[in-house]
Amino acid sequence: MGYLTFRERMTIPTYNDPEACRVGKVVIDHEKCNGCGNCALICPGACLYVAGIGKDRKAYMIERMVPDCMSCNDCAAICRRGAIKAAHGYDFGGFYKVLHRAEMVPPRNF
Amino acid sequence: MMETATEEKRRRDVSFGEMYTWHEGMEWNPVERVILERRSVRRYKEEQVPEKLVRRVLEAGRFAPSAGNSQPWKFIVIRDPGMLEEMEKYVRLRCRLLKFLLDWESSPLGRLSWFLSQVYIRLMPNELHPIPFGAIRLIADGKLRLFHGAPTVILVLMDRRGVSKPQVDVGICGQNMVLAAHSLGLGTCWVGFVELFKFGTKWKRKLGIKWPYRLMEGIALGYPVGEPDGMVARELHEIDWWEDGRKRAVF
Ligand SMILES: Cc1cc2nc3c(=O)[nH]c(=O)nc-3n(C[C@H](O)[C@H](O)[C@H](O)COP(=O)(O)O)c2cc1C
Ligand code: SF4
Ligand code: SF4
Repeated sequence: MGYLTFRERMTIPTYNDPEACRVGKVVIDHEKCNGCGNCALICPGACLYVAGIGKDRKAYMIERMVPDCMSCNDCAAICRRGAIKAAHGYDFGGFYKVLHRAEMVPPRNF
Repeated sequence: MMETATEEKRRRDVSFGEMYTWHEGMEWNPVERVILERRSVRRYKEEQVPEKLVRRVLEAGRFAPSAGNSQPWKFIVIRDPGMLEEMEKYVRLRCRLLKFLLDWESSPLGRLSWFLSQVYIRLMPNELHPIPFGAIRLIADGKLRLFHGAPTVILVLMDRRGVSKPQVDVGICGQNMVLAAHSLGLGTCWVGFVELFKFGTKWKRKLGIKWPYRLMEGIALGYPVGEPDGMVARELHEIDWWEDGRKRAVF
């Protein structure tokens, strides 16, 4: 895996440009989600909310172009129903390009 | 009701691996479990943590390793709700100012704000990394709290005269306390945003933050609401592994 090119090193990404940045993103399984709202209450990026009434009450990710999700998976940890998890890590590119990483996996007990 | 039931279940259902030994594929031992299940806690009960329990957590910090055994740290414990509220307010005001100056999306300064942000991001690429940059906006808007309503906060100061790299020692010391706290049923969250107090003469004077001390981090401490701890997925990191005269990549 490579490092940074000189050009990348000199480029500060435009933080709110979805073309330039890959921010964190969660996938929510609405079959499992009961809309308890715990994830939304603790999300450090304030990027989750619950909407709907009764059985249709579910968690969603906010519609901001570039949400403040940092793929911390704290939402996944607090969810008792295993309904939410981060899909991938964030990478703002340019100067902040993420190096030497691969997919997200839980702890492995070798 | 449901919460307490699951909490209890979690406590009873654990089968632990042995301590001080390893065999392939064994269960996590209690130390590993605390390390792997610790999550940053951002919602706390109002109930105060007993003084003795905080003292016990501080002991874990006191016995942290440090270069040359220089122990370059000082702790400030704050348990006064009024004071914590004031600190919270101060940081929110500072974030509003920063947002006004640097957040080109919302700032009435327009192009000037874009220019300022580009200069300051280059001057402070760590402090103004996109994640804290976003957090400044969230704190300013009241969507993210400084101490998340924790009843106890430990401020960790660094003695600048420590051996070699005292920043590292302070980090180790703090994590010792964090892990001890989780193993004792508490929740914690590191709070890097205490950085903003370095711009507040009033707070620096009140807290006695002056040379040789530097305020490094805050640790929020309290009883969590719900069950925020648990194992999650995280990115694999590529590790260079040298053996048998060659290098391979290990994840
Ligand atoms: C030095 C340091 C400073 C941090 N500062 C903050 C902070 O100011 N506010 C916050 O909500 N979380 C803060 N965090 C928590 C991180 O966001 C968190 O550790 C990270 O997202 C990983 O999630 P986890 O701790 O649940 O594993 C900080 C963490 C560290 C290590
Ligand atoms: S914590 Fe889980 S069940 Fe509750 S709202 Fe969030 S995703 Fe749905
Ligand atoms: S991964 Fe973290 S930042 Fe992203 S939605 Fe979940 S709790 Fe929020």
